[in-house]
Amino acid sequence: MGNLLEFSHVGHEGSGDRAGTEKPTREVTDIALGTLVRRSEEVLDSWDRQKIVDALVRETFVDQDTAEAISLEVEEMILVSRISMVTAPLIRELVDAKLIERGLEQARRMHTRLGVPLYDVEQMIVQPNKENANVPHGPEATNLTLAESIKKEYGLLNVFSPEVGDAHMRGDIHLHDLGFIDRPYCSGQSLEYLKKFGLNLPNSLAMAKPAKHAEVLLAHMVKFAAALQGNFAGAIGWDAVNLFFAPYLEGLDDRAVEQLAQMMIFEFSQQAVARGGQAIFTDVNLYWEVPKHFEDVPAIGPGGSYTGKTYAEYEKEAQRFVWKLFEVYKKGDGAGRPFFFPKPLVHITEKFFKTPGHQAFLNHICDVASDKGNTYFVFDRGETAKISECCRLSFKLERSDLEDAKQPWKMRYCALQNVTLNLPRLAYRAKGDDTQLFAKIGELIEITIKAHRQKREFITRLVSHKSSGPLSLLNMNLDGSPYLRMHRCTYLIGMVGMNELIQYHTGEEMHGSAEAMKFGLKVIAYMKLLADQCSRKYNMRFVLEQTPAESTAYRFAKLDLKYFPKESSSVVKGDQSAGEIYYTNSTLFNVGASMNPVERVKLEGRFHPLIEAGALTHVWLGESKPPAESLANFVVKTFQRTKNDQIAFSPEFTTCKGCGKISRGLREACPWCGSEDVDGITRITGYFTRVSSWNRGKLGELKDRYRNQGHFTRPLTPERSDGGRVGR
Amino acid sequence: MTLFTKSLCSACQEIQKDFDLKTLGVEVEELGPDNPDALAHLAWHELVEIAEKSLPILVLNDLSAIADTDAIKNYLAERITRH
Ligand SMILES: [Zn+2]
Repeated sequence: MGNLLEFSHVGHEGSGDRAGTEKPTREVTDIALGTLVRRSEEVLDSWDRQKIVDALVRETFVDQDTAEAISLEVEEMILVSRISMVTAPLIRELVDAKLIERGLEQARRMHTRLGVPLYDVEQMIVQPNKENANVPHGPEATNLTLAESIKKEYGLLNVFSPEVGDAHMRGDIHLHDLGFIDRPYCSGQSLEYLKKFGLNLPNSLAMAKPAKHAEVLLAHMVKFAAALQGNFAGAIGWDAVNLFFAPYLEGLDDRAVEQLAQMMIFEFSQQAVARGGQAIFTDVNLYWEVPKHFEDVPAIGPGGSYTGKTYAEYEKEAQRFVWKLFEVYKKGDGAGRPFFFPKPLVHITEKFFKTPGHQAFLNHICDVASDKGNTYFVFDRGETAKISECCRLSFKLERSDLEDAKQPWKMRYCALQNVTLNLPRLAYRAKGDDTQLFAKIGELIEITIKAHRQKREFITRLVSHKSSGPLSLLNMNLDGSPYLRMHRCTYLIGMVGMNELIQYHTGEEMHGSAEAMKFGLKVIAYMKLLADQCSRKYNMRFVLEQTPAESTAYRFAKLDLKYFPKESSSVVKGDQSAGEIYYTNSTLFNVGASMNPVERVKLEGRFHPLIEAGALTHVWLGESKPPAESLANFVVKTFQRTKNDQIAFSPEFTTCKGCGKISRGLREACPWCGSEDVDGITRITGYFTRVSSWNRGKLGELKDRYRNQGHFTRPLTPERSDGGRVGR
Repeated sequence: MTLFTKSLCSACQEIQKDFDLKTLGVEVEELGPDNPDALAHLAWHELVEIAEKSLPILVLNDLSAIADTDAIKNYLAERITRH
């Protein structure tokens, strides 16, 4: 429904049900007031002063007499002003002005109208939104942006306390996905849920029984992912996909398995017709080995029945499928471009190295990493098992989770919200004083915890409406507990700009010296201990995460240049005159530091065990295409000799809009046809996308990235275990 | 050398009781909710995950680490006899 509704005395239609809010539904003030009142001759058509009174009494705690008085004053103002068109927003602003005159601040807040200026709507419809490069530009995307802008305001005013809302607005923290305030953040699921219960969604017209064939299971998976995208703000991850498909693959020939692999990747990569034209941010977790925690689990096969075998017995089928998936990644899309989604996360456990064929498989996925960049290498060392669901968000499975693994359909996880701290600003405020710095970190974590508790309270309220509420899908209860297991939710505490905090506070960037890096570790250790303490206190799981910070790194830098120009201008990265500014993501080293990748992976990895919800080191390849064996060697050493959680290699490409061909490296013109109508493709944070859709901060970072052009083509030299320059 | 310990760890207490760590040149770092320095130091030595499973850990001057209590005792005993 638009903003300028035709006035109607009788039917208070429009805007639909406001399920989930405790106020009466439908009687939304703007509709009650009528949104457009035109002056004809000397009278106001459709004017009804009483509606101002009703709105004030219904929405605020203002008494009847005050409401009457205000309505009379506003009516008088309008009559005297001789305005020819009175809109509901104007009436509301006039009423608000009267509330302010009377010092009724709380009433004014409650009476706030959320909306979007005409100019902004024009901008949104015409200009692309660059906050998230995964949102294309189009009418669906505009709808998404418009809805988001209102929900953002709603969240700031109505879900969070003024203290939290102000901290976000100032840029002390960033509340992620405010535009999706009424959903949890991201989630990981198990195919076993679909295999066991079929596709049985609340509010759906038809219920599908458990799939009998692999393609049907895939169709269920894609549909369910789309349904989940409508209920979560961010990523939708799937655990052990190749393993859970395996019982459906027995008896299929290689061609059929290849076909299935193609269908899966194309289905998820072409979902850009879903919510807001946004591809579903899909992660598929894959294994070469049958991970230990699934070895003895009874396998579910066609029709949702147990096959009588355990998953250990499906190793070969699972391997056949994952091999084919990477063959598809290697070919790329119809034009040879890398697939952006689904992101393949290959978990490497200790058992990987004992599983026959692992070397050939490792070379295969490294070939894809070098050629197209898709592969993520996730390291599950020791007895840890992890499920990854987002750019770098992964969860170590705890004892209770491993208990769930016996009934894998229970393995569904969710991060309810992500809040990121602006670290450099803390350093500006501390003015070089350690005690001040750590005190300020503590204060900001406290606000972050408040933000998480407020969001939890809000989502709990929405969920409490059960099947008639807005989150009915997350309430579906097919296995004895709701799909969203609130008690298992995680609350993420992210960070941006550790490098700049250290630079401002100590005078050196993190790669500058061992002392600088040790200081960074102390900051993270402090944050982790605080998060642990709060977890115990509130019985909620607060964990640190490396925020992908696609737009946050830009937003914080921009706000700091505004509010702390003197302090920030010496440490903000990028081209300040061009506005292409950013802070270094999370705990990463300066992206432009000319460190060799061995050193970077080793040293960045020292943070990873403290950042429980996942961390990642990027190895930017530029236009180089190293031999697969060389990358494989690197991956093995990363597993054995570092604590790094996850790595990804990112090549760069140029795609030509003229001839449609793709070439390696970021180029000004197409080497095939000479056209200058080209676009770049590479990893923005945790996913591939077109460079033309990037925000200015990320463009600045792209220019600075240190490309490991020569490293992998040279024979590998044994690296120093201390990681070279930073020393000990 | 650094010995990472935690409170209420009997093996940690035993070693601290049995050996004159100061004389042996061993600094003790007790991990706990109020000690980010010790945790950061542990992370620097890439021992966070090992410490989750087993403490005490002795980090030697060559930066190698011993995470087995008996091995730590043997190592320290040997150092005493050598000096
Ligand atoms: Zn071309």
